[in-house]
Amino acid sequence: MLFGKECRRILTSLTFIIYCFVVGLFFVSQFIDENKGDPYIPDEKISEDHDIIIDSAVDCLANEYLANNYICYPLGFYKSVRLKEDDSQKVEECLLEITGLTHDELMDIRDSGEHYYVEHGIQETMYYEIGELPVSDTITYERFCELMGQVDDILGGGSKYKVDDLVANYSYVPMTQEDREAIISDLYDKDRVVGGYARLFSDYVGIDLGIMPVFVAAALVSADRRKRVSDLIYTRKISSLKLIFTRYTALVTMMFIPVILCMISADIHLIRYFDFNDLALYKMFTLPTFWLLPQLMIVTAAAMIVTEVFSSGIAILFQFAWWFYSIMADGARLSGSISKFDLVCRHNTVFGREEFMLSKNDFIFNRIFYFIAAIVITAITAYIYELKRGGRFHGIRLFGKNSIFRHKA
Amino acid sequence: MEKKIVIKNVSKFYGRKQALFDIDLTIGQGMFGLLGRNGAGKTTLMKTLAALHRKKGGEITVCGVPIEKAKEIRAMTGYLPQDFSMYPSMKADEALDYLGALSGIPKAERKKRVTSLLRKVNLIEHRHKKVRELSGGMKRRLGIAQALIHDPTVLIVDEPTAGLDPEERIRFRNLLCEVAEERIVILSTHIVGDIEATCENIAIMDEGKILWKGTVEQLIENARGHIFTSNVEKRFMPQIKKEYIVTGMLSQNDYTTVRIVSDSEPDLPNTVLTEPDLEGAYMYCLHSSGCDVRGGEE
Ligand SMILES: Nc1ncnc2c1ncn2[C@@H]1O[C@H](COP(=O)(O)OP(=O)(O)OP(=O)(O)O)[C@@H](O)[C@H]1O
Ligand SMILES: [Mg+2]
Repeated sequence: MLFGKECRRILTSLTFIIYCFVVGLFFVSQFIDENKGDPYIPDEKISEDHDIIIDSAVDCLANEYLANNYICYPLGFYKSVRLKEDDSQKVEECLLEITGLTHDELMDIRDSGEHYYVEHGIQETMYYEIGELPVSDTITYERFCELMGQVDDILGGGSKYKVDDLVANYSYVPMTQEDREAIISDLYDKDRVVGGYARLFSDYVGIDLGIMPVFVAAALVSADRRKRVSDLIYTRKISSLKLIFTRYTALVTMMFIPVILCMISADIHLIRYFDFNDLALYKMFTLPTFWLLPQLMIVTAAAMIVTEVFSSGIAILFQFAWWFYSIMADGARLSGSISKFDLVCRHNTVFGREEFMLSKNDFIFNRIFYFIAAIVITAITAYIYELKRGGRFHGIRLFGKNSIFRHKA
Repeated sequence: MEKKIVIKNVSKFYGRKQALFDIDLTIGQGMFGLLGRNGAGKTTLMKTLAALHRKKGGEITVCGVPIEKAKEIRAMTGYLPQDFSMYPSMKADEALDYLGALSGIPKAERKKRVTSLLRKVNLIEHRHKKVRELSGGMKRRLGIAQALIHDPTVLIVDEPTAGLDPEERIRFRNLLCEVAEERIVILSTHIVGDIEATCENIAIMDEGKILWKGTVEQLIENARGHIFTSNVEKRFMPQIKKEYIVTGMLSQNDYTTVRIVSDSEPDLPNTVLTEPDLEGAYMYCLHSSGCDVRGGEE
């Protein structure tokens, strides 16, 4: 069967061996080595209390405003923003509306406290100790979010006031003993232990699967051209749809096997540290498969189409950018709030089932979306392949001495 | 359905460069030879027939099937590219098996064909060798086997004998002749000997045009009266090569016997008109079509 032959070609390729090695190594060093014994219980939790969010956000904004030094992470990179007079004025207006203070009152608060200097390289910034600011009685949470959105826009995005991140940035409160007991009982009762570890597992392996498959897929697809076998394959009877889908399924299957092996060893690992009767072992297979398989599929599909249209090098660059953006953008959130189009979904904790469930619907949408997108992209790849086969399309060269359109012999 | 390929008015461009000019050709059952110098357009024409290229204008039908129906064309065409290569880490028999699977041959059938073809091309002892371990000639033989694996009606082989030793070349010609009994076989070459031994019908191409088409005998007949031999002193040779088309030389002591292709009898000592051979006839054809072939000793 052709499928078996394609699997064999993948199995004997160097990139696949490297893939297995990296996935295995990352799994062992992050998951196995870091999870020996009792799980680490976090000190804080998200409260989602609007008053708490407004209180801490406004204090943070006032501090940054008075120092005129805002820490931002556009696209995941640290950036310190200093505003010009009129932009600073706009931020102040927002601040005054939220606190209900006048300009003079704010300045009084500023001048009544201590101030100190912080060096940033050659620059010095003056910070004020202002304590907690009041919050206006008339401000609603919706209006507050609106104002925060404006501030974020003025700062050019990626600031601490990004509306989607307000809950995660400002509503952490210390955990009480009851909170601790509650999340532990959630872990045992609702997640049957394995569920919690399955999310952590998916979090780690998902990082690999956001980038590693591109190497294997791009190498397989570009092999025909590199080894000058294209014409030989092009003249065979097989339909482009069948050929591309066979290769695609072979890639996805082969690359998912190491992931399944990791799932099995994760279960074995848990059996060593927990009472067997507390564990629902199947949960290590169900959630991670739903979480990781669509991701593997979309990365493989993207790698194939970019390699067919451009080249394997571009496919790797593209995937690297996408992966990097996905894990670094928006201040690199480690857990909570999975959004509709995240490639890599993060949830770096054994606990936090409730937090995870908050974005459950977006998460489900996300994975189904990528699953379908992967299949659609592969169908388009087959169409492009058919065009290349008949000499109607020659691929697009972005680099090299030839012009954009390359005429292949 | 009649077994023939009809090419009407076909042109082909590589970007702005035109590689084929209004080709008209009918190729029937049996061996058909395509002869021409480097860059004449042989490969381009063959790739177009194998549905690898998009032609510009004109039409091509293969056994009644228009070339645009790529899937049907692929099913009935076997193609050996000029620069045949295969995944280097595959074994010879694996490579054939893989390509056979891509041609949609069921497993049991494939197994039989792989063995019989490897035997036919004399690679049976090397079947467990990886492609990268095969010699250049062995690789070409593998190439021939893969083109035949799905028992195609049309076989297109682009310079199949390049790099074969004389023994294998003869073996290969015989194989092609055998194969051509119930198929259309198109062969390109610049080795006139290959054509002489195998093909009845030929076409000569140059600069993207068909210069001449017909049978081998007609080509030879064409050149009758234009091929001479002279016996000249060795020291005149450089000058003679400059002035005439020399297709053969044989040196003895101070004298050289030369074969010359010329419109009229050359003004040289001891010149006699000789019976034309295919090589000379080919050169005459190129020459009479206005190609500059002097200094060539192919
Ligand atoms: N991919 C390409 N892009 C541009 N021009 C090309 C391409 N392939 C071939 N050509 C040009 O088309 C013409 C015909 O080339 P072709 O390869 O068909 O010749 P050929 O008869 O097979 O020569 P040879 O005996 O060397 O194999 C040549 O002038 C060549 O330079
Ligand atoms: Mg050629």
